[in-house]
Amino acid sequence: MFIFKLLSFLTGYVRIMVRGNNLEKFINMAAGRGIFLWDIKRLDSRNILVSARLSAVHPLRHIARATKCRFEFKDREGLPFLLSRARRRKSLLAGAAVFLLGMYMLSSFIWFVDIEGNKKITDGQILESASKAGLKKWVFKWNFTPSRVESVIKEDYPEISWAGVYVRGTRVKIQVAEKVIPGVRDEHPAHIVAAKAGLIKEILVLSGNPAVKEGDTVVPGQILISGIIPGPGLSIEGENNPGQERSGVMENTIVQAKGLVRARVWYEGYGEALLEEKITRLTGDEVSRVCMKIAGKEIILKGPKNIPFIESTGESQVKKPLQWRNISVPVELITEKYHETERYTEQRTRGQALALAEQRAMAQVSRVMPSGSRVMVREVKEVSVKNPENLVRISVFVETLEDIGVEKQFKP
Amino acid sequence: MAWRDFKQKVKRQMSDILEIPSDVVLDLPKVVILGNLQVFIENHRGIVEYTSETVRINVSEYVVVVKGENLLLRNILPEEISVDGKITGVFFE
Repeated sequence: MFIFKLLSFLTGYVRIMVRGNNLEKFINMAAGRGIFLWDIKRLDSRNILVSARLSAVHPLRHIARATKCRFEFKDREGLPFLLSRARRRKSLLAGAAVFLLGMYMLSSFIWFVDIEGNKKITDGQILESASKAGLKKWVFKWNFTPSRVESVIKEDYPEISWAGVYVRGTRVKIQVAEKVIPGVRDEHPAHIVAAKAGLIKEILVLSGNPAVKEGDTVVPGQILISGIIPGPGLSIEGENNPGQERSGVMENTIVQAKGLVRARVWYEGYGEALLEEKITRLTGDEVSRVCMKIAGKEIILKGPKNIPFIESTGESQVKKPLQWRNISVPVELITEKYHETERYTEQRTRGQALALAEQRAMAQVSRVMPSGSRVMVREVKEVSVKNPENLVRISVFVETLEDIGVEKQFKP
Repeated sequence: MAWRDFKQKVKRQMSDILEIPSDVVLDLPKVVILGNLQVFIENHRGIVEYTSETVRINVSEYVVVVKGENLLLRNILPEEISVDGKITGVFFE
């Protein structure tokens, strides 16, 4: 059936209204002569509507004359009629052709070049190298070959171990993989000094000269492991062997000090909490509004005119159209969002207030405490004042064990 | 007439024995009814009457009458006719 419809569309067909007294004879004669009629519909006692192929119109005239019927054309459908209609509208055809051509032209340019996977080499360097091979923005797709671009990028930058160029429509994706080159070790004379005050718990020297002992108290900036190892021969031996030995033995060895110095460090924190506190909080209700601002006048496009909340916090986003130099279009699109807030008094029991104050105090401590440190002792103390008040105060005292050594360079 | 009846009888017996479909041998119409939507008649001899309520179609020795509402002749070929619409009955006269 579909094939038949397609065929009749291609060859073209007409709807004919046949008028006469002997319509059955008309149909029989047409069928008998091999003329194909379809969708025959009775309109009233003297009229029927018939579909017939374009090529059958001429024989149908003869049959109509023979059966004393008359007919008139109601509809002309199919490709031949569409074409003849299109022939009268030349500019429409031209427009369609221009559209197709433009579409094809625009899609054959490279619009975007994306670069992925580069860490040390900049996008600009890769683009420059790609443009040598013919790949840049606004070139025709067939003016470069991806494999050549790949090899040029690899040649230009030996630190790129692999490059891939993929063309996806009007977008080109350049993927590179950089070689991982082992870095040079940073060798320079250095001490290890204390970053903060503490009591030395243990000291492990990998290189250098320990300047403190376990149990010492140190202040910030104090040298813990010295990068200067003094020559051992400052004593009697030096005197016994003068001359050639002295110069070698006397000299200090200068190294980059390395080691681990763990110390006990103290922190103090303070926190307080009200037993009765007035706070504002969001109710979860919100209203958004979209306005358009044209030359200083605001026009509400969507949303209520008045904000239905007693108290609210708002945020607004302003979208401006393109701006060039000093010229700008005086139109702004403003999207506003209001969140309803309410005031409310939080009542806390003493226990809750204490817990909250302690939490705040600990938060204060953990802000300055490095993440890797181990808490050894933790003391929580309530600070009491003479007059009873609507407030609890907590001070915490934390003792941790942590590595306090930091490297500090020096010039020998 | 007797001769014709005899010929029919022989033909029927032959088609039974040889298992040939009888519509081919006996020149009978083949009427296919598809629900109450479509009637399809093969081997017809032309239309006798066509209105939107009744379609009479001449077949070899009698007339097939299709009754219904909004009847439409979907297609007409020298050998076959198909009638569309809301069909209420098919009779032989």
